[in-house]
Amino acid sequence: MNTHPYLRAYMAGIFVPTLVLPLLLTVFIVARIVMHVPTPIEQVMIFPMAVVPSLFGLWNMLWLGSHLRTRAPIGLHGAVLPLLMAPIGALVATSLGVLDIGARGVVWFHACSISYALIVPCFLAATAAYYLVWKYIIGFLNGVLGIA
Amino acid sequence: MNGHDEERLKRLLQDALPAVEGEPEPGRDLWPAVLKRMDAGLAMPPWFDWALLGGVVGLAALFPAAIPVFLYYL
Repeated sequence: MNTHPYLRAYMAGIFVPTLVLPLLLTVFIVARIVMHVPTPIEQVMIFPMAVVPSLFGLWNMLWLGSHLRTRAPIGLHGAVLPLLMAPIGALVATSLGVLDIGARGVVWFHACSISYALIVPCFLAATAAYYLVWKYIIGFLNGVLGIA
Repeated sequence: MNGHDEERLKRLLQDALPAVEGEPEPGRDLWPAVLKRMDAGLAMPPWFDWALLGGVVGLAALFPAAIPVFLYYL
């Protein structure tokens, strides 16, 4: 079980986004077809489908390659990831017309308005969620796959 | 291999391997330490993690518009 540790780290990393992706797709399909919210599913799904799983996998590979040197706990390592993903996701969303930046706040997916005052609490909550996901789910998977 | 050879082999092995000094068993029962270590592996998450989870769930409940954005980044 000592072969291909980085491949196993990548697989453990992409586990959570791969599970969340169908859930996200369901939410947007229901919103668009059932509730008739004009959400552009095709543009919305590009970032969660093409970027997020790869980033999670690569981030876990980076943890595997660096944690013996840095001694960083995996939860802390995962909590840093939103600092990288938030601007990338916002950039992709803006360029695809999924995120509209207004005077009082931002509008995601042409439907979800978030005021500027809420962006910081939402970012902190996302950081906390990432910390928990990385500590308890990806950390557990790393242990199961013999790389933790 | 006859009985003489067996005796000779036994004596050679006994001469080659050092005798165990003192008690052949540990002085204390090691099983409680094993159980303690197993319990430590199944320890409950610290209060800080519960607080973080409560904060995330609370924010999602107060501002449900943020939930799709959370999912977008997961």
